[in-house]
Amino acid sequence: MISTGMAGIDDMLGGGIPRGSKVLYSMEPGVNGQLFMISTIYEALAKDLSCLIILPHTTLDAFLHDAANMRGSKLQIAGKKIAFIDMIDRERIQRSAQTRDAAENEWRARINKLCKENQTEVIFGYFDVIYEDFGLERGFNLLESCRSDHPPTIIIEHLNFEGDHILEQFIGKLSFDLVVSIKASFGLFPHFNFFTLVHTSWAPMQKRSVPFIISKGRIVPYIPKIVVMGPPESGKSTFVASASERVCSIDRTGLSGDTTTVAMDFGWLHWKDFDITLYGTPGQPRFDILIPILLKNAMGAVIVIDATKPGSLARAKHLINLISERRMPLVIAANKNDLSGGMSEGEIRTSLALRKSTPVFFISAKRNEDVRVVLESLVDFITQFSY
Amino acid sequence: MYIYKTGIAQIDGVSGGIEAGTNILMLAPSMSSAEQLAYALIKPVPGEYSIVLSTNERAAEVVDFFKFAGCDKRFIGVIDAITKSSTPSIADTPRLMFVSSPTDLTGIGIKFSNMIESIFEGTFTEGETGLFPPPIRFCVNSISTLLMYRKLEVLYQFLHILTAKQKKIEGVAIYLLNNESFDDRTLSLIKQLMNGVIEVKVDGNDNYFRVTGIKGTKADWQKFTVNKGQVTIVP
Repeated sequence: MISTGMAGIDDMLGGGIPRGSKVLYSMEPGVNGQLFMISTIYEALAKDLSCLIILPHTTLDAFLHDAANMRGSKLQIAGKKIAFIDMIDRERIQRSAQTRDAAENEWRARINKLCKENQTEVIFGYFDVIYEDFGLERGFNLLESCRSDHPPTIIIEHLNFEGDHILEQFIGKLSFDLVVSIKASFGLFPHFNFFTLVHTSWAPMQKRSVPFIISKGRIVPYIPKIVVMGPPESGKSTFVASASERVCSIDRTGLSGDTTTVAMDFGWLHWKDFDITLYGTPGQPRFDILIPILLKNAMGAVIVIDATKPGSLARAKHLINLISERRMPLVIAANKNDLSGGMSEGEIRTSLALRKSTPVFFISAKRNEDVRVVLESLVDFITQFSY
Repeated sequence: MYIYKTGIAQIDGVSGGIEAGTNILMLAPSMSSAEQLAYALIKPVPGEYSIVLSTNERAAEVVDFFKFAGCDKRFIGVIDAITKSSTPSIADTPRLMFVSSPTDLTGIGIKFSNMIESIFEGTFTEGETGLFPPPIRFCVNSISTLLMYRKLEVLYQFLHILTAKQKKIEGVAIYLLNNESFDDRTLSLIKQLMNGVIEVKVDGNDNYFRVTGIKGTKADWQKFTVNKGQVTIVP
């Protein structure tokens, strides 16, 4: 496997990109997604893979500078098996070749020669200029010019003006193994970037989209909202506090002397290369008016129940119904597993009328590691959920 | 709807200026004063911002034009597609951004989005104007150069997206194109993306312009001069 250089995405892909694959990073114009390709290049070089990088849109020096700027560190090329074809090479080819066929042959010869000399394992290509010069199939065939027993992995970035239509051609005509589409939600300006795993050939996978942010030169998949719900005193605030690196609760002290959430809990964590924001809802029915607002745009939900209080499950079931209406990934955290007298999984499943696919975890919300298991399951669920 | 003043009494006096969301193609021959005219038209008045995509001049030269025209340079942004080819290590600032060549439409699109985003978020400059959406004038100087690097069909798609975004942010944009260097098909294809056209011609030493497609403007030729960013119609 070749890592994409983005751990969260590698996880979604089952470990990375199988060698010999054909990979497309499709970029919607104006979307700041160049770090996808750059991250994969950095990772390939860090793993000492022999690379050919084709840059028909820029000079090598400008590319190295831009890459260092984006990533926050220089691309280490000294002592590496790496070759480049840049804009200056393209101009030379254009000047010397009299016809398109001649130019195509010249490209082919150069790519083949560099691949042979370096025993290239990965070809990175910025494709839109090649596409413009030679068309889709002829352009891509150039990148496949490398004749060897072990065909290199080919990873391209393409500025996509044509939308999903061209993606279908990459998948259908050119048999691409991985297609990642990078887009933005454009209001007045791009305010919400996301990537979509459109197609993977090596694993059955639903098309899915995940927002991302760029932080310290890295693509960070971002789960902007996971909602933590449950009956009163089931341990939601404790769950959010145990999970989070930073947390804020809006509580008040009840007559019993215990605190109860009266607005929401808010927590943030960076985990497994994801940035995740948790919203804990108040448990009492009088706050139900807040729940639709808090569920809006949520990507997943955790229902925390007190496994020692069967009487609270009716309330939990009501909350599950609210979530089900919105078709979002859901996991159940059966809390207070450290106390005696807890219900069995079967009792919980029956009482809550859970689907077989909904996981139930027995935890103590006070234990960080228990809470993380629940979140891990939910993140997997979110990134593999068929919406 | 916001109205952009042109500074030309003959236009502002009739229609009040140019409506937000307007994309204007400026067709002009070589050696004309079209560039000065375009820059004069996108010169920001207080409360506005201007962005120039320059494929012909370095960012410093563009900023100089606006400085000499009396503009506050804190409200001028330049996407420079020239300098980086000779100075690869040049670094972006919030107001000056660099792409390696006019070929790099990916880079141009991203820098444009970044600049617009920073204006909307208030990080472009200190001294916020307070208007929302912030009025932005935009100039592509020039489509002619972009066409030397990319095919018409690709550039059409690129400009299609750019003009749509420009409309969405309620800006006003001028796109310069040398009408002597390209055939009718090219001109008519690019015109399809525009709301109006300003044609410039040179007769002897004199420059003339005429406007079509912009509400309230006359379509007859007007002799003009540009001095320190100020357009004067010569009677």
